[in-house]
Amino acid sequence: MNTLTIILTDGPYISQYAEMAYKIASEALKLKVFQVNIFLYLDAVHVPRSGQKPSLFADTGRLFQELAERGAVVRACVRCAAARGYSVEEDGICSDYLQGIKITSLYDLAEMLKDSDRVISLSR
Amino acid sequence: MRSIFYLLDVAPYGCEKAYGVLNAAAVSIKMEVTIGLYADGVYLALAGQDSMALGLPNLSDTIYAYPEIRIIAHEPSLAKRGLMNQDLIESVELVDEDEFIKQIHIADCIIEA
Repeated sequence: MNTLTIILTDGPYISQYAEMAYKIASEALKLKVFQVNIFLYLDAVHVPRSGQKPSLFADTGRLFQELAERGAVVRACVRCAAARGYSVEEDGICSDYLQGIKITSLYDLAEMLKDSDRVISLSR
Repeated sequence: MRSIFYLLDVAPYGCEKAYGVLNAAAVSIKMEVTIGLYADGVYLALAGQDSMALGLPNLSDTIYAYPEIRIIAHEPSLAKRGLMNQDLIESVELVDEDEFIKQIHIADCIIEA
């Protein structure tokens, strides 16, 4: 199986990148030929925060949780998360995050990249 | 992936992006890593950076700390900003437009922070 890694750096609603990442990942999972990794870097660590209630847009946290439930590996950078007030509990779990999305070391990004056949970076 | 090209096109201290690119590059050194400085990103190439007054880490220290990371600077971007006569960090390579684009093309992936 091929591996696709998507890197996001924008917060959830400042651009359409989170939604685009969701659509790309969703299609890749549907094809069943890709393992999908998503790495949330810089402001993108806000994406999986629970309790979002955007009035105009889809709740990106829920979208990414759905991807995780369908088998995508969704991880957020620990340094970026800590800088923005998200603390890590046991095994990368963050109580402010939706279930299935974990906080991890930046070294995991390097591993994801090394093991990837395709990489998509969405950033402004 | 065996090679990664990180593109930096914003100045080093105005936001977190340069710091983010350098950190991501530093953890990727088991692969071939290139950082391409373009547009305002070329300010990262200047020697003698002093970020003390900003209360931020000196990002050029990361460049010196990781000689495994190849750093190229887009020469036309330096020229447009009047930086061609400034002292640059010794390890930074100046490349012209064609070479810069070539390096993007030969990398397995390009990542912009």
